[in-house]
Formats: sequence, C-alpha cells, structure tokens
Amino acid sequence: MKHIYKGLVFCAMFTFCSVYAVSQEPLQEISGDTEESKVQVAFRDIDQEDLLGGVSTIDVKELTNKAYTTYSLDFLENVVGGMNGNLWGLGSYLVVVDGMVRDANNVIPTEIDQITLLKGPAAVVLYGSRAANGVLQITTKRGRLGDIRIDVRANTGMATPKAYPKYLGSAEYMTLYNEARVNDGLTPSYSVEDIYHHASGENPYRYPDLDMYSSDYLRKMYNRSEGIAEIYGGNERVKYYTTTGYYRESSLLKVGNAKDNYISRFFVRGNLDIKLHELITAQADANVTFYDSFSAAGNWWSNAATLRPNRVSPLIPLSFLEENDIPSWNTINASNNIIGGKYFLGGTQLDPTNPIADAYAAGDSKFVSRQFQFNTRFDVNLKPLLEGLFFRAKYGIDYASTYNQGYSNDYATFEPVWSNYAGTDMIASVTQYGNDSKSGNENIDNSAYRYTYNVSAQFDYSKTINADHNLFAMFIGNIWQTQRNGEYHRLSNANLGLQASYNYQQKYYVDFSAAMPYSAKLPEGNRAGFSPTLTLGWRPVKESFFDNTPFDDLMVNVSAGIISQDIDITGGDSQGYYLYKSIMQRGGWYSWGDLGGESATEFQRGDNMKMTFVKRKEITAGLRGSLWNKLISFDFNYFTGKIDGGLARPTSLYPIYFTQTGYPTSSIIPYVNYNIDKRSGFDFSVYANKKVSEVDLTLGVSGMYYTDEAERRDENYAYDYQTRIGQPLNAIWGLENLGFFNSPEEIANSPKQFGELKPGDIKYKDQNGDGVIDSNDEVFLERAGTPFRMGVNLTAKWRNFTLFAMGNGYFGGHGLKSSSYYWVHSSRKYSEIVRDRWTEETKATATYPRLTTTNGENNFRSSDFWLYDSSRFTLAQVQLTYDLPEHLLQNGVVKGLSIYLSGHNLLTIAKERKHLEMNVGSAPQTRFYNLGVTCSF
Amino acid sequence: MKNIKKVAILVLIVPLISMLASCDDLFEPAIENHKDQDALYDMPLWAVGLIGHAYISNPLGSWSFNDVATDDAVSNDPNNGYRTMATGSWRANNNPMDRWQYLRASWQYLNQFLAIADDVKWAQDEVVAELFKERMKGDAYGMRALYMYHLLLNHGGWATDGQLLGIPILTEPEDLTSEFNLPRNTFQECINQLNADVEMALSLLPEDYGAIEDDIDVPAKYRSRGVTAGQYTRVFGDNARSRMSGRIAKAVRAQAALLAASPAYTEGTTVSWEEAANQMAIVLNGLGSNPIAEIDPLGNQWYVDGKAIENLQAGVNPKEILWRSNKESSSSLEETHYPPTLFGSGRLNPTQNLVDAFPMANGYPISESESGYSANDPYANRDPRLDLYILRNGSKAGPQSSTITTASDGTDNNALNKTETSTRTGYYMKKLLCQTVNANPSSKTPAYHYKPFIRYTEIFLGYAEAANEAWGPTGTGAHGYSAYDVIKAIRARAGVGKDNGDAYLESIKGNKDKMRELIRNERRLELCFEGFRFWDLRRWKADLKTSAKGMDINGGRYNILPEVETRSYQDHMYHGPIPYGEVIKFSNLLQNKGW
Repeated sequence: MKHIYKGLVFCAMFTFCSVYAVSQEPLQEISGDTEESKVQVAFRDIDQEDLLGGVSTIDVKELTNKAYTTYSLDFLENVVGGMNGNLWGLGSYLVVVDGMVRDANNVIPTEIDQITLLKGPAAVVLYGSRAANGVLQITTKRGRLGDIRIDVRANTGMATPKAYPKYLGSAEYMTLYNEARVNDGLTPSYSVEDIYHHASGENPYRYPDLDMYSSDYLRKMYNRSEGIAEIYGGNERVKYYTTTGYYRESSLLKVGNAKDNYISRFFVRGNLDIKLHELITAQADANVTFYDSFSAAGNWWSNAATLRPNRVSPLIPLSFLEENDIPSWNTINASNNIIGGKYFLGGTQLDPTNPIADAYAAGDSKFVSRQFQFNTRFDVNLKPLLEGLFFRAKYGIDYASTYNQGYSNDYATFEPVWSNYAGTDMIASVTQYGNDSKSGNENIDNSAYRYTYNVSAQFDYSKTINADHNLFAMFIGNIWQTQRNGEYHRLSNANLGLQASYNYQQKYYVDFSAAMPYSAKLPEGNRAGFSPTLTLGWRPVKESFFDNTPFDDLMVNVSAGIISQDIDITGGDSQGYYLYKSIMQRGGWYSWGDLGGESATEFQRGDNMKMTFVKRKEITAGLRGSLWNKLISFDFNYFTGKIDGGLARPTSLYPIYFTQTGYPTSSIIPYVNYNIDKRSGFDFSVYANKKVSEVDLTLGVSGMYYTDEAERRDENYAYDYQTRIGQPLNAIWGLENLGFFNSPEEIANSPKQFGELKPGDIKYKDQNGDGVIDSNDEVFLERAGTPFRMGVNLTAKWRNFTLFAMGNGYFGGHGLKSSSYYWVHSSRKYSEIVRDRWTEETKATATYPRLTTTNGENNFRSSDFWLYDSSRFTLAQVQLTYDLPEHLLQNGVVKGLSIYLSGHNLLTIAKERKHLEMNVGSAPQTRFYNLGVTCSF
Repeated sequence: MKNIKKVAILVLIVPLISMLASCDDLFEPAIENHKDQDALYDMPLWAVGLIGHAYISNPLGSWSFNDVATDDAVSNDPNNGYRTMATGSWRANNNPMDRWQYLRASWQYLNQFLAIADDVKWAQDEVVAELFKERMKGDAYGMRALYMYHLLLNHGGWATDGQLLGIPILTEPEDLTSEFNLPRNTFQECINQLNADVEMALSLLPEDYGAIEDDIDVPAKYRSRGVTAGQYTRVFGDNARSRMSGRIAKAVRAQAALLAASPAYTEGTTVSWEEAANQMAIVLNGLGSNPIAEIDPLGNQWYVDGKAIENLQAGVNPKEILWRSNKESSSSLEETHYPPTLFGSGRLNPTQNLVDAFPMANGYPISESESGYSANDPYANRDPRLDLYILRNGSKAGPQSSTITTASDGTDNNALNKTETSTRTGYYMKKLLCQTVNANPSSKTPAYHYKPFIRYTEIFLGYAEAANEAWGPTGTGAHGYSAYDVIKAIRARAGVGKDNGDAYLESIKGNKDKMRELIRNERRLELCFEGFRFWDLRRWKADLKTSAKGMDINGGRYNILPEVETRSYQDHMYHGPIPYGEVIKFSNLLQNKGW
C-alpha cells in the first residue's frame, strides 16, 4: 500500500513538473507525426506495409471516437479476426501494456492508442516462453508536439436487466412439490388448505410468497457515470500525455444497506517523453488506480436461485402483535433491527437468516484494490558507432494490493406463532433464533499483494542499401517476474531473442526470429530452450504480371515455427517448480493417545529428469491486400499445428493406489511430456469502404473458425467409442436419451439404469449392450465453446453524424442446461421449466422428467437430453455521434464538441435466446444505454 | 530542466536497485525444504511418518453410517452415496464402498517403511534404538494386518474363475518399474498373510503401552534383555498409547477369522468356526481369567457421558474399549443427527425393521406370543436399548429433554416427512450422540466424544457367534464360557429379561438355530449404526433385499410404511467389486463374479 500512495504523489509531481517544464520552453509546431502508420509489434514498431502474417492491429484511438466502451478489449473479437476468448484457440494469452506484462482491465479504452494481436509463432517468439499462447500488446497514448490540449469526456448511462429466471410462486410450488412426493410414493407435504392460504395472498406474512426478483427489492435500472480528462502537448524536448478519470456504478438492489452498493474507480496516468540529449530519449510512465466495490452483506443472487418462496417471511409488521402481549413485545423490543419502525425480522428454525434480513442487519463489505504502475524506457542512438544502431532498454515495476474491509454482524430473527381470532390473524407468541451482535471493529481481511517487474534491453540495427535492400537485426534480453503474497515461487520469464529480417524492394521478404527461453521449472540441463521461426513473404503486386489486375496490394506469406513454452509446466503445489523431481515432505496429521500428534511423511510425484518445454509447432499462411482503390481490403490467416508434450501423469500405466486421494493426497506417478493436441483454423477480416451519395460507408466482417482434437492421451477406456483421442478438447460427453419411460413394463424390459425408476424418468441407450447403463455408455455428444466466431461492424458518416453498429456471431457451440434452474429436484427451488413435466396425463407432450424429491440421479446427469445449441447473433452496440460543426465553435476556447448516444448488448437472436440471456445464481445480464459528451479545449 | 534531470536520475536508479533484488525462480528455482528418501535413515520421525498414512487412513477412523444402505436405516439426505448405492446405483465404476485405492496407497507406505526400518538410526542408546525398531516394525505389521482385513471385507469375493480371491499380496514396496499386472491371491492366502503379520506384530510389540516406574515391572520378554524401566518407558510408555499393540493385533486376527469362517466365505477358506471362536477367546482372555465377569456394565452406552470422556486419563481406555480415537470436544455429530427442533439435520433415520428387532423387556421377540407386544402401543415394555438408541414418537432428547414428536400430524419439523431434515421413517438416531450437546448455532455447547475402533462387545458377540456354531449354544470349547453365557450377560446388561430370568433365552438354549438367530439379532442391536450391519448381512448370506420400513403415526393410530426405500441389491452384491478401471488395465486382475 505504501508504494501505491507514494506512487500517487510521484505521479502527480511528475505530471506537473513536465507540464511546467514544457510551458517554460518556446513552442515549436511541427506537423506530420509519422508514427500514425506504424504498427507496434514485439519490441519495435514497423510500417503496416512490412507486416508479415499472424498480426492484427486495432486503432483504438480512432475507434473510441465513434464507439464508446468501458472495457479495453471490447472490440477485439469484432473488428479483427483471430480472437475468440483466446487467440487462435490457444490457452490464456499474455497482455503486454507499454512493454510491461499487465492486466487488460487496468487500462481503460480512452487511454489506449493501439492494440496489436500477436497470434502467429513468428509474431510472439521474441516475448519468450510465456507468450506462446499469443500476446495482446496494448500501447497507451503519448504526448505530441503542440500547445496544451485538453479533452474532457462525460458519460452517463443506465443498465437494465435483460431477463430474470422465472420461479414458481408458493402455491404452485407447494402443489407441484406434493406431486413430486406422490411420485416418490410418499404422502403430500402440504395440505390443500395450506396451499389455499399461500395462494390467496390474504396474509403474506403468515403464508409467505417470497419473490426476490420483485420490485420491492430491485430497481428497474441502475446508473453508471464517468468523467475523464486527457491533457497532452509538448515541445521538442518534452512531450506529455496525462489523463485522469473517475467512474461510479450503482447496483440493481434497493433493499436495506444494499441500496448503497457501488463500484468506483479513480485513476491518474502520466506518460512523458523526454529528449535528454541529441542521441538519447527517455520515456517515463506512471499510473495509479483506486478501485472500490462496496456491497451489503449477503449473497443476493445466489440466494434468489435457491430460497423457496414459501419458506420465510423476511419482514413482519409489528402491527400483528397485540398491544398487551407483553412477553412478545419484550422479545421484539430487544432487537436492534426494527426496520423503519414498522417491521421485525422474520426467521424460522430452518431459515434463521434470510437474504433480505442480511441486507438490513448483517453488515457490509468493501473490496479495495490499489494499483501503482511505473515504467521507463531509454533509446540511445549509437550513430557515432554505426549509423542505424540503437540501444534500447525498458524497465517497469507494478504493485497491486487488494483487501476487504467491512463489518460483519449477527442478528436475531423471530418466528411468530400465529392464531386467528375471529377471522383476524394475530401473533400469539414469538420464538427468537440467533442473537444480535455487532463486531464493532472493522474487519480487514483477504489482504493480498502482487508485485511485478519487467526488464528488457535490446540492440537493433536497420539499414537500407541502395534503396533496394532493407535490413533489420535485433538482439534482445527480456525478463519479468511476478510475486504474489502467499505464494513461495514467482511467475517468471527469461529469454534472449534474435531477429534478422531482409526485404528486397518490399517485394521479397525473409525473416528469421528466434528466442532462447530459460526456465527454472525444468531439470538442470533442460532449462534452456530454443524457439526458431522462419517467415517468407512475397508481394506479387510488385511483379509486372500483376499490373492489370484490380489489386492495389497483395501480400502472401508463409511461416513455420516452434515455440518452447513452460506455461503448461504446471501442477502440484509449487506452481510447476520441481515437478521433474520426486520429493518427500511432511503432510497430513494424525494423533493418538489423546496427545498432540504428528505429520505423516509423503512422496509426491516420480522423477522425470527428461522433462522439457512444451512445444507449440505451427505452420501458418497469410494473404493480405486490397482491391479497387481500397474499396475492399482483406486479411486472411490460416494456421495448423500441434501443442506437443503437454504434461500428463500416465495413470494408465500404474496401479490406481500409486495416487492417494482424499486426505492426505500424494502420488508417486511422474509428470511426463505426453499429450499432443492438434489445432487448425483460419481467421479473416474484410473491410469495404464506399461513398454512397453523401454517406461514407464502411462495412467490416471478421471472424475465426478453428477445430482442435486430442492426438495423444494417456487413457484407460474399455470401449473404443469412449476414447478422447480424435475428439475435440472441449468435448461434451454424456448418455444418449431415448425419451421417457412411459410404463413400468417398459422399465422392467430395459437395461438397468440409476436408482429406483418410475415412468417419466429418462431412458438411456445401452451403447455397449451389457444390460446396464453406467458411465461406460457415455458417448461424445457435441463440442462446447464456439468453433466459429464472427463480428460485423458498420460505420456510416453523413455530414456531422456518425452511426456505428456492431454485431457478433457465435456458431456451432453447445452446452448442457445443468444449472439448478433446469435440474430441479430434492429441495431445490422450482422454476417454470417444471410445468412441462411428465405426468401420466401429459406423457404424450411432456418435455421434462417427472418430479422427484430425491436427488434424481437418473435424470440429472450429463446426457443429450440437456444439450442445447449456443449459436447466436447479438447486436452488441449501436452508437450515433454528432460532431458539432467547426463554424459553431469558432473563436471559442472549445475546439471540438461531440455528443453521442449508444446502446449496448441490445439484442440476441438465437434458438436458445431465453437460456442465453438468463443468469442463474448471479447478477443478471444487462442492456446499457449511454449518453456522452466529448469536449476539446 | 532541472526537474527533468531529477526525473532522469530517478528512473535510472530505480531499475538498478531492483536488479540487485534476488533472482529466485529466474535461473534457479527458489530453494524448498525437500528431502531425499535417503535422508529418512537419519530422521526417525520422518521415517515413522510413513506409518502415519496408515493411521490417517485408518478404515475405522470415523463413522461411516453405511447402515443407511441396509435394512436398519435410511438417510434423509438425497445425495447420500450409500443411499443411491442401495437404491440401485452400485457399480464397479461407482462404488462408495471402495477401499482399494485408499487402503492400498497406505499399504504401499507401510511396505516402504518396513523396507527401511532396519537401517534407520532410531536413537543413540543402542538398547533404545533396538526397542524403537521393534515397536515401529511391529506397528507397521499390525497395521498391515488391519488393512488386509478391511480390504478383504470390501473387495474379497468369488471371482470370475470360480475361486474365492482376496487381493494381490505385496510385501515389498513397488516402484515405477515394478510388474503391476499381478493376479489376486486366494482369500485363504490373504488370511495366511494377515496371520503372519499379526505373528510378527505380536513378537515385536508389548500387549499394551504405558509408563512403568521400576525395572522390576519391565515385561519379562524385555527384562531378560536387560531393558531398564527408563528405556522401556521411553519407547513403550504413555506416548505410545493407542498405537497398534499386541492386544489390538489379536483382535484384528479374530475379526478376520470370523469373516473367513462365515457362510459367504467358508467354502473358500480353511478357517473353522472353532478357530474363529478360539481367536476371539484369546482377545477376551486378555480381560481376565473370567471374561464374562469383566463385561463393562456401561459398555452399551460408552458415548453417553461426555463429562466422563473428558475426564478420561490420556490414552487410557474404559473397560469396554479395546482401541479408540482421541477424545475431542465437538458438536458436529449432534448437528448432523439431532432432530430438526434440536437444530440437527436428522440425517440417519432408523427403520421400523430395526425397531421391530428389539425384543420386549421380558426378553421375548415381539413376534412371540409370550411377548405381550401390542401393535397399538408398540413402544410399551420394550427392551430398554430401544429408547437408549432410537428416538421415537414421544421420546425425550437434547439438553432440555425436549419431547420429540415424529407423528405425521405433529406440528413442528420433527414430524414425519415434514421438511428435508425431518425423519423419513418416524425415527431419529439417538445412539452415539451426547444429549448434553446444544446444537443451536447461537448458543452452541459441545461435548467430548471419541470413536471406538474396536469394542469388547463386538468381540464378545463374535465369540458367541463362532462358539455357537463350533460347540453349540452351551459348549465352551477350552474356554469355560459359552455362547449362551455371553448372550445372557449382554442381555442382562441391557436390562432384558430381568424379571423372568430371561425366560426366552433359557427356552432356546438347546436350539443352535434359534440361538444363531438370537446372537445375530443381539449383534444387530448392540452394534447398530456402527457400520457392521452392511457386511454382517453379506457374510451371513442373509436377505439383502428387505425394504426399509417406517412408521406413520396419525391421530394416535400406528400405520407401518412398508417401503420407505427399496434395497435394490442383486445376487452378486454379497461381495464388493474390484475397481473397474483397474480390471481393464491389468488382465491378470480378475473381477468378482457378476460385477
């Protein structure tokens, strides 16, 4: 924490000094910043034209002028190809912000200049081992020559929930629960009279019908507002960019202390470019973030999915107490929690607390996160030694600290015993559950910190000979480490990198990029790896035979590479360190003789001194160009490859008891480089620009399709159809259903399934014909996830109006409807879905199994009965922007003014829309409508 | 400009400082306190830690409550694994009774210990070092015998080749290069191995542990080797109490013999009822010259008095207890099993079948005409153990002796099937719970409990069962007491047949079959809810499919619920399966028939 406050002071000082320094200097306007067409790639920037394959770039600065967003990676999956939760179907990508390994959510869209997606092996190799799954490289804005300029933005918007899960009210729940009991051969739990009272609503305090989604507890919408200022400018010596902002978001809840729930974030950033000397420039950037999230105690949304409507009346009016019922008044009056002077907290022995009472009486908690980030960079021109040679170095340190603070209180609830005097319900007595107690002290817990440093240094050399031969060479060293509290080992990366590129007249390209990663996770002798990549490019449009084609530009490239990585060297309890080594340690605890006791001695894993890097082996091909004077531009990448040597413990070779499960756990099976995954696919991005009468139209379509499968696995299946080899990595496995059993005879004549079967239970296919349904009958059902992901975006400009719209497509993925909303059994809350249950009368049309009070182990298990297609198209954003015409702003201090209105997550088109838009057990998905103003001074 | 220079200096210095910080995990992994296996020879505590696995995974270590998979009880928890097993989900690849992996993993650790024990530097004093070596090895052999018994119980069975098989016997530690495709040894070979391990334990361990003051008190087998009281106490003193001892090893041997002699196993073994009876008698004779006189009068309610348990001297056993866990203060058992109004979850619900198994106080089974049983007043004049072990409608329970109403027309949550923590049978479990415990979350009061690993009542009943088969109800073999003597004493302790000299017992003491039935019934009652019934039914080849019954009391009328839960067992389920995954991995490992 100390670091972070120091950082804030430092950051502020830093910014003011620089602004001050600049103001002392005579101004020199220099036009034409040439950096605009540069693309930031690993450790350097290059001309867009010279990009080889496997890289996409997004001009965020440009995009934010027409599309407002709150999350820095929002547009990534839409405007370029290659991203679908991850890059090219790989594991977690690395986020690099201004050359430092950082979190994407700690940099906000307005601060960002450019985001580059480094996808192919040749694009990521220089970043070393931990970049093997791709890199998102984010570059923040920098100052530029010119007078001080201030951009101010203000946004305010409302979020409205898309949908709530729909649960049955008390009377219907009780009726159907009775049915479930009868189905199980039991007597009904609720009397007709009881159900009538709940249904009539005559006294909801005695006969509760609790709906946690009602407007008594929830707002229709909630607000998010933000203000951001950016200040930038500079002269020959110093350029500065500084920005600060604040946002605050409320929540849907309006009950008790939850009405004050909020999330807020305040940040300051200063980016400084300094020319220290004719040959030396430096950059220094700092960022401080204060993030708070306050919420009342209780877990509203998960309770809303589980608390049945008839169980408890959370608030009971005092007016039901008779004036002369002194004992009850004495009990109630001792409570600290008389709500609004009118209600006491209701409870029962089975539900001594409830989420509504929690919101009033159980205290609150604030999650606090503080981050400080600082990085510098030096560029030394070694022209005195050799023209074109540079030495550059970067260094950065980040601190993050989080904790929770708040009060945690216990409270008493009261269960009335009701009586009915002459038709009026009155409370005869009350029973207290629990006690009121306040901790008095503020709790501080879950303290955590994280510390990261990054260092890199490089020599690079570029030279053009005879205007034809363009040479570039670079040698880099790159190190970073992250330390977290509570973790002994650090997340580490160390690598050397070498790049040598040549092109002839920008027509023929050859590039060799390689890295030597070093990993302390591997056994001595295997710690240094080698990751070579070779890329060839050809620009046929520069050939004479391409002269009379509609192509403005066409670039073909092929690349092959092997990236050695230690990201997937994980497991055990030490973040993947010493996994190659059999170790002996103390573990577990046992005691005897009524004495203290002792630890046991356990072995963990077997020796594998051959353990080595996991290798990403890949071949890619790219095609990029434009047609008809840039009417159409396109970028296409194909990739195919393997992840070879994923760690596995080959349990099929050893007896099961080589692994001890439960308590304590140990295993003497070694980790070996065993698994192979295959993966191939393509991404694309096509843009069309055309002026139709007065309207400038831009239409973009981007996307990615990929497939993957397991090529090598250690496995132990008796039946061929169960092998995971040759199946997608995220396959869904399950039983194949044959509809419902419709009669006891049908059950008797079918293979034995799970538990006691009744008509209305799901019937499964006996795949192996052994007369028993069990896990051996599970087959490959479908692929989860989204194999084909696409984005469409449209920009239309007419005079001073700009319309931007984007939609996202997700196709070919599947999932199982297995949440508590769908798997309704035993004492779960009944959702609307059970209305279509199987009964003797409805068996021809039923779509849901018979109800049961058991755990329904036959019906509620992975099977194609619950399978759904998650394909969908969503209208993710529509925004209309109006830029005030410049003539209206003449002479004023105001240099530019825009007003915009945007809607987010507006529409989903899908067969399973209702399911896809509904969150069970968590806060609902929302649509968001925003009004914003940007003003430049 | 001055400012800029300052900033420049600062940005140059900061990196240098942190470059000097340590580079752990960058080029060398940060050092951890890992030891090599060779280090065990100089670290006796770590070496003993290998045996520790067997104690942590002790199959007797905690209550299984697998009684809910029998005709004695049901669970009100829909997700209870034994419940789903009993209602038709028991498979070789879905076996909640599986001990193969858990117990054999610890077995491997025991073998690892035995492989190094001779070379560990136990102590400076050579005599003490030798004694430690003996104790620890004996400990490991004894535990291995215990593990063998439980592996045979859970996995032994008639295999697909028609033989009664046990497990592959392994007495050496395995490593990654061992041959794993091993056939199962026969059940009898496993029993022989168990007996050999017990013999080893007996030769290495004293009968019991405990400090001694004078050299003269050193047990003879050690005194003859010149062991002093100090040396003896250091190794075998109070801090070794409740570890595997000679007494415990003998009890394990007797349990295994009873299993091997039982109907489900006898055709595949050479163990006779007589041998089982003799093994049991060896354990009982450890109580004194007339074991019958040594029966603990409170032996059927050892758990009742939390205060007495708290005051137990460390490591000392009451007379009933042969081996037990540490005593611990807790309320978790009560929170799980108390009825809902006492803030419990009412998990284990005894069945009408079990309630019906309790005789009348006059000793007659309720089915006998002399019993005086009335179906309209079923709880009157019953065996006092019924009210000791089971809460029925109108029982009193909890710290305030609250009345528990389980009738279906009861108004609170204790009523039959009222809510998900209510009873499904009309009964709650009372046994094992300490009624002084208050489970109310806002005023919780725990009490002391321990888990008996072996009780003498079990051994007495085992003797009675075997002796009746070997020598008839009143035959004594070489031991001076008969099955009849044991059952008489146990029933007298329970308060059964007090006023009529246990006329029913007297009436059947000439009938071996009736006596067998009575002994099995006494075993059912005395050991209820302690995890015996599931395997007892199987070793007797008794009916496994009797549905669990309940009692619905409404308007004062008693209505039997004939099927609260089915018992969907098939004929091959007299023996548990070998884990499915292992059988398909190793061709020589035969599965039990039917699985």
